[in-house]
Amino acid sequence: MRTILRGVTTGTLALLTLAAGTALRAQEQKPAKMKASAIKVEMIHADEIKLPADFQVALYENLIQQVQKKGGFQHVYREGDRNAENAPDLVVLQGTLRGFKKGSEEMRQVTTVAGETSITIHCVFSDKNGKSLLERDVKGNVRFFGANLRATYDFAKKTAQIAHNNFSPTAGT
Amino acid sequence: MAGLKKVLPVAASSLALAAFSAFAPSSLAQKPSGAVKAQVVTGLTGVKDKTSGNLSVEGGSLHFSHEQTKVDVAAASMEDVVTGADSQRVIHGSVGSTVLLAAPYGSGRFLSLFRTKLETLTIKYRDSDGGLHGAIFMMPVGKVEEIKKELLAQGAHTSIPPEQAASAAPAAKEQKQ
Repeated sequence: MRTILRGVTTGTLALLTLAAGTALRAQEQKPAKMKASAIKVEMIHADEIKLPADFQVALYENLIQQVQKKGGFQHVYREGDRNAENAPDLVVLQGTLRGFKKGSEEMRQVTTVAGETSITIHCVFSDKNGKSLLERDVKGNVRFFGANLRATYDFAKKTAQIAHNNFSPTAGT
Repeated sequence: MAGLKKVLPVAASSLALAAFSAFAPSSLAQKPSGAVKAQVVTGLTGVKDKTSGNLSVEGGSLHFSHEQTKVDVAAASMEDVVTGADSQRVIHGSVGSTVLLAAPYGSGRFLSLFRTKLETLTIKYRDSDGGLHGAIFMMPVGKVEEIKKELLAQGAHTSIPPEQAASAAPAAKEQKQ
């Protein structure tokens, strides 16, 4: 009985040590956030692939809403906003469409496996002078429930999370 | 007896029609006063997404009203007005979809095939600071082109003029064949 108890205790301790070590390592590996108190979101560009106007606008508006909600910036500016010119530590978010597959809501409902809508956008976070600070390919999709435009919401949520993880009004936090 | 035989199929088909018409979305039916019932999908400043209300073009502005909320967007500030066909399920939303999936003997999937055709109107406009906005409205088929024409007449711009859209439509049909 004692041997079993000792074994269980040793095992638990080993697991705890391992978990603590992993957490510490993760903290060490986490890059320091870049300083940015404001962000300017630009309309998604679709040069080579044709994107319906409603998708383009939904991407832009959802992105602004999600960055306002989750991004952690003091100010979120729209493309063309003159007030952004004087904003300190401004980051500009530009997106270029890399892939678009318009599925079918009807197909998703009927088959539950087909009809996925997906959008892949190359996002570039740059400073005022155009110097790239961070680049990511972000995919938004809708597989089961919801209208096709819901893929734009999925993309916006993921992009806002990336912004939140990498930028902060106070540098290095 | 023969008269009854003739009446019965008519009565049955009338009943079936009445049953299906119960699923038609009354919220998006046309309003007689010239304003069109429409839903803001996203992007209209001061209005929550998925709000239904009345949309009209008057005095050089696109006017949207829902209860006490009234929003005007000047036609002259619109950089782009684009229409797009879309369709929406009669029983919509995630709750509606769950209900459809839960319906017995696969009848939900059968019901989900009955859809009402809707169209979208997408506008891009600038605010007083120069900030770019986009808004999407959804409304019954046939109303979108009218609103677009009225907006263009009152100073709005478009990347797809109505005549270009009209000539592109038959070409697209020919390509399908």
